[in-house]
Amino acid sequence: MPARKGTAARVTRTAAPLLWLGPAIALVGVVVIWPVVVLFRTSLQHFTPNGFLIGSAGMDNFRALFDEPDLRGILLRTVAWVVVVVAVTMLLSLALAQLFNQRFPGRRVARWALIAPWAASVVMTSLVFRWALDSNSGVVNVFLHDLGLVKFGSNEADWLGRPFSAFVWMMIVAVFVSLPFSTYALLAGLQTIPPELHEAARVDGASPWRSYRSITLPLLRPAFLVAALINVINVFNSFPIIWEMTGGGPGHETSTTTVFMYQLKQAYIGESAAMSVINFLLVIIVVLVFLKATRWKDQVN
Amino acid sequence: MKRRLLGAVSLALTAALTITGCGSSGGGGGTNGTTTLKLVAADYGTGPENTSQKYWQDIADAFHKQNPKITVKVQTINWNDFDDQVKTMVQNHNYPDITEGDYFPDFAQAKLLYPAKDVMSDSTFKNLIPVFANLGTYNGTQYGMPFTTSSRTMFYNKKLFTQAGIANPPQTWDDVKTDALKIKALGKVGFGLPLGKEEAQAETLLWMLGNGGGYQDNGKWTIDSSQNVETMQFLADLVKSGATEPNPGTKNRTDLWKQFASGDIGMINGQGALIPIIKSGGKLSDADWASVPIPGKTGPLDKTLGVCDNVSAFNGNGHQAQIKAFLDFAYQDTYQVAFDKEYDLLPATNSGVQALSSDPVFAPFLKALPNSVQYPNDPVWSTVKSQIQTSIGTIVSKDPKSVLSALQQTATKGS
Repeated sequence: MPARKGTAARVTRTAAPLLWLGPAIALVGVVVIWPVVVLFRTSLQHFTPNGFLIGSAGMDNFRALFDEPDLRGILLRTVAWVVVVVAVTMLLSLALAQLFNQRFPGRRVARWALIAPWAASVVMTSLVFRWALDSNSGVVNVFLHDLGLVKFGSNEADWLGRPFSAFVWMMIVAVFVSLPFSTYALLAGLQTIPPELHEAARVDGASPWRSYRSITLPLLRPAFLVAALINVINVFNSFPIIWEMTGGGPGHETSTTTVFMYQLKQAYIGESAAMSVINFLLVIIVVLVFLKATRWKDQVN
Repeated sequence: MKRRLLGAVSLALTAALTITGCGSSGGGGGTNGTTTLKLVAADYGTGPENTSQKYWQDIADAFHKQNPKITVKVQTINWNDFDDQVKTMVQNHNYPDITEGDYFPDFAQAKLLYPAKDVMSDSTFKNLIPVFANLGTYNGTQYGMPFTTSSRTMFYNKKLFTQAGIANPPQTWDDVKTDALKIKALGKVGFGLPLGKEEAQAETLLWMLGNGGGYQDNGKWTIDSSQNVETMQFLADLVKSGATEPNPGTKNRTDLWKQFASGDIGMINGQGALIPIIKSGGKLSDADWASVPIPGKTGPLDKTLGVCDNVSAFNGNGHQAQIKAFLDFAYQDTYQVAFDKEYDLLPATNSGVQALSSDPVFAPFLKALPNSVQYPNDPVWSTVKSQIQTSIGTIVSKDPKSVLSALQQTATKGS
């Protein structure tokens, strides 16, 4: 190779990686970064309900948002929503993954069946549950009625009309639609564990529970963390279940921040954007805390 | 090399822009003198067999035959989502040309609409029933053009009344409560009270009228007036006593109407559109139900809520002449009557009223039209309305006065 071939060659050599990185960077910039920029900008602007910009709002949108009397309840409910749904999902997934990792006749069919809630549209799933909970003719109430437990049309049968029971039912649906993903993630993790390890433990006289705790769980940790993190983000942003089943009502009594943001959007675009900004920051904080708490780097690398 | 790099980056950018919809693409106007009008209408149907999509498509097809250069693209949206979706379209500045359904004075305020006179020939404009003209008016100019109207009455189930030993339909609030509790004793719902998202603003107003209240008095918001507070207090007590279905804040009108049609509700406020639902339910014969003036606090209402749904014409795409041609066509008597027969609603044109005046089903409702009360004609109304729809159901769990005060604040704060 000749020693010097002028600056042109050097520039070319430096620029060459850009050729490959450029499109990706441009794409990320346009479809990921830009909307976030617009979001922050919108939260500082004053819009009419019809979407016309009439000047800067300073911090007014945030002030209006924090003055909303329902905001506190909505935030607390959002925390409960994420924690309960993710915790229950992960626990059930652990059990399910263990089950599907066993050899049993019809395992292939059973594994396929597990995909169903994932493949079905979440809106349709929610709608089916809403109908099943109808206070007069829903299949849940027909069943309970036949057992003599509830009366049709009564307050007890009106599961979605009472904020607390409505929220519990929506959590059940959220767990139901989150199970397939987490179970498959854990199942994939289980299959990377060499069977020899368990065999060795058995030879050493370890009980199945002991070998599960000391071998399976630690080795499953990376898969578990990835699945849990993705679930946290997904469940936090979950909208269709709540919207389809109660619309966040009565009032805002079953809204999470994501639903509340949508309810605000109709009349108060700026305030809704402020809610989005808070949501955005919350997700980032939650993820950072999660990564820190689980010592993500040591585990996944 | 450099040029190729630039090319690649700009190609990626173009692709990304196209994906995100920022790229420029043509609107409705074509190049060879053809125009596509975008019509967005609320769906009055109860299912696929009588969806308003079909009704409007028939008009659009007939119109296209006479005006081959104008195509009308019809989109119907169910009432639950109508406000949301139209608002979203407008907020994105993706304007329809014509909407039919709720009319929003704030669109007129934002100068998004053509005045009615600009998109209708004189004869069509003069044919609109005058009582409803004011409702579509903003700052002295009429923008909303009534397309269909309705007036409210209370429907009751005669069979249940007989079973419960009640001789006459209720006239006062106390009657309503007593009768409803008697019907509840039969294991049915006494009074169907839809305070859910769909049309809570109508139900609320009907009760407010019964105590001499309303949303506005002479153009001033009076949502938290003492009469209205008393009214909502009564409603909350009515719910707590068990005279209504449980949790009315989560129940929509159409669902309760279906329940009335299946014979499970004693009384419910309704309009002509309830009749076909009762008929298709197949549980109640014509002799099993009747409709009477709505009970007020001390006696039946002498006025009722008269609602008209309006056509508005948006100026965003500049299709004034084409819109005018289409509206003149769509307001013909045949289409007015066809609409009313399909959905048991009332016409919005004088000649339409005349065409139906001898019809036994329509005549009593038509009589109530001229002295009907209407929703506030105010740009803030659409915001207030959606707030009522979200929050009025909470009068049961919260203090009614605080709920009304919050609404009053929304109304007077402006937009």
